[in-house]
Amino acid sequence: MNDQVRQVRDFFVSLKLTVVLLAFSILLVFLSTLDQVHLGIWGIQEKWYRSFIVIHDTGSARLPVYPGGYLIGGLLMINLIAAHLYRLKFEWRKAGIQLIHGGVIVLLVGELITGILQEDFQMTIVEGGSRSYSESFRDYEVAVIDVTDPKHDDVVAIPDSLFSRGGEIQHAKLPFKVVPQFYFPNSIAQPRAQVPNAPPVAANQGAIAPRYVVTEQAIDYSQNGRNVPAALVALVATEGTLGTWLLRPEVPVLRRDENGQPQLSADTAAPERLTYGGRTYELSLRLVRAYHPFSIRLLKVTHDKYVGTEDPKNFSSRIEIKTPGGKDDREVLIYMNNPLRYGGYTFFQHQMEAARGLTGLQVVSNPGWLLPYVACIMMTFGLLGQFGISLWSFIKKRRAKTAAPKPAAT
Amino acid sequence: MILRSVSPTLLALTVFLSACKKPAVESYRVAKELPPAAPGAATTPATPPPASSAPAASSAMANTAVPTASGASLAWTAPAHWTSAQGSAMRKATYAIKGDGGAAELAVTAFPGDVGGDLANLNRWRGQIGLGEVAQAEFEATTQHLDRNGLHMTVVNIVGTGAGAQRILGAIVPHAGATWFFKMTGPDALVAKELAAFTAFLDTIKPAAP
Repeated sequence: MNDQVRQVRDFFVSLKLTVVLLAFSILLVFLSTLDQVHLGIWGIQEKWYRSFIVIHDTGSARLPVYPGGYLIGGLLMINLIAAHLYRLKFEWRKAGIQLIHGGVIVLLVGELITGILQEDFQMTIVEGGSRSYSESFRDYEVAVIDVTDPKHDDVVAIPDSLFSRGGEIQHAKLPFKVVPQFYFPNSIAQPRAQVPNAPPVAANQGAIAPRYVVTEQAIDYSQNGRNVPAALVALVATEGTLGTWLLRPEVPVLRRDENGQPQLSADTAAPERLTYGGRTYELSLRLVRAYHPFSIRLLKVTHDKYVGTEDPKNFSSRIEIKTPGGKDDREVLIYMNNPLRYGGYTFFQHQMEAARGLTGLQVVSNPGWLLPYVACIMMTFGLLGQFGISLWSFIKKRRAKTAAPKPAAT
Repeated sequence: MILRSVSPTLLALTVFLSACKKPAVESYRVAKELPPAAPGAATTPATPPPASSAPAASSAMANTAVPTASGASLAWTAPAHWTSAQGSAMRKATYAIKGDGGAAELAVTAFPGDVGGDLANLNRWRGQIGLGEVAQAEFEATTQHLDRNGLHMTVVNIVGTGAGAQRILGAIVPHAGATWFFKMTGPDALVAKELAAFTAFLDTIKPAAP
């Protein structure tokens, strides 16, 4: 091994690196907690923990300010593994420590898998209604759906992260190219008639653009902040452009409240329609959907309150879960802290509006959900084992001391 | 040797997992959807999300008010002879001004961003009273700039042509990421008479106390 390689190895094996990384970890938690003044919890997770470098936006520039969770956690994991390979030799009397370290590695790997592969969805159902798909909380997609068949819809879904890059998108199932013109991650829509200085209509097709003015907004990272995107999309076939459509998941609608005062509220936007090559297509910008090979029907929602108060005591949803082949057809009660785990998803009771028979389930897919439990079990047994081994050797020494013959008195 | 292969394996795992998340176009066939079951209305959060936090929102559940320009507001004092009137939901305020030549109206609106820029706004106003568009050079020549109470105002005074011509007295005021519009529209004679009152009114515009 030459000197340079040895230096690199020594760096990663070093206990000093462990201490520095742990100090960085502590400071990371502290600083990210302070940053919660500006950002909601998911914004903090993305900015501080699920990044290699923490980028701070000063308004005029984006500056790297701190090592992110992936960098610190990744280096800690490499440091721990390297220490085991080169510094710590396996000994039975230190088996507990090895197991504890193994648990920490499993925990770090678990967080990596969770950070990269976990997906959060929501499922909103009314009593008597049935759903076979969940929707993302935050991510949107441009859906081009061939609705010609009376029984089936053929969906081509373009995720917002891909659409916002702006390149032409050609898919084998579409007879035209999808050409993104712009994508606003957050926007507001105002009735065009009420905006005195509205810019000209950007799209030449569809119902939204002539009626509404859409303006880009800064992304809202707050805890309960909502971002409503907007997209301008052109469809281009071999003979030329078919048109440009402005898409938005919802549009404002003026209604009168109980006092007769006009109030703006948001309604789900109807998909835009076009016919091309004898087939009918629908265009929409909607929350990313995850279709399941089963359906969930909501039988009953229950919202219990403490007697004599409006304080919520319990929320529960009685659902019926059904697979098309009839393999499963059973009732399940989902309530607080009692989720349903089914088909690789976990269904948590998340929202409820009992008066309207509406329930909102949070649907989580996390392939690494078991790893933190495995890590905790490993660390528990490691600690028990290590303390047990120490206790055993202490008792043995003490017995040996007691059993040893006392020196004869002179 | 097996142990020494752990690090590259973990590296490969990271790369593999990252690759799994790459955005890609998806296509699939689904059975026709029944009409949406849930009408829109905000719901009560039942319990904090156990696994990871997420905003409580869904398209089916959305029923939020749509803001015009949120954030910092402006305050002003209108002349006594302007009467506050019922405007649309998008307006911050509406005033009716009555005079010999008929009635004029002053509308206060605010929208996020620059709403297309000052030139586009002037040209839109010009279009509303039958005037053609102007270029940037002419824009500079026909507008006046004022600085009042820490606010920069672009003041417009334009009049249409022909009998029954309309005049617009307007001020475009950027403030805290939004653009505020104070626009008086009405018969030429009446609005021209209100110029002094309008200028005095602009002097009273200031950022509202938080």
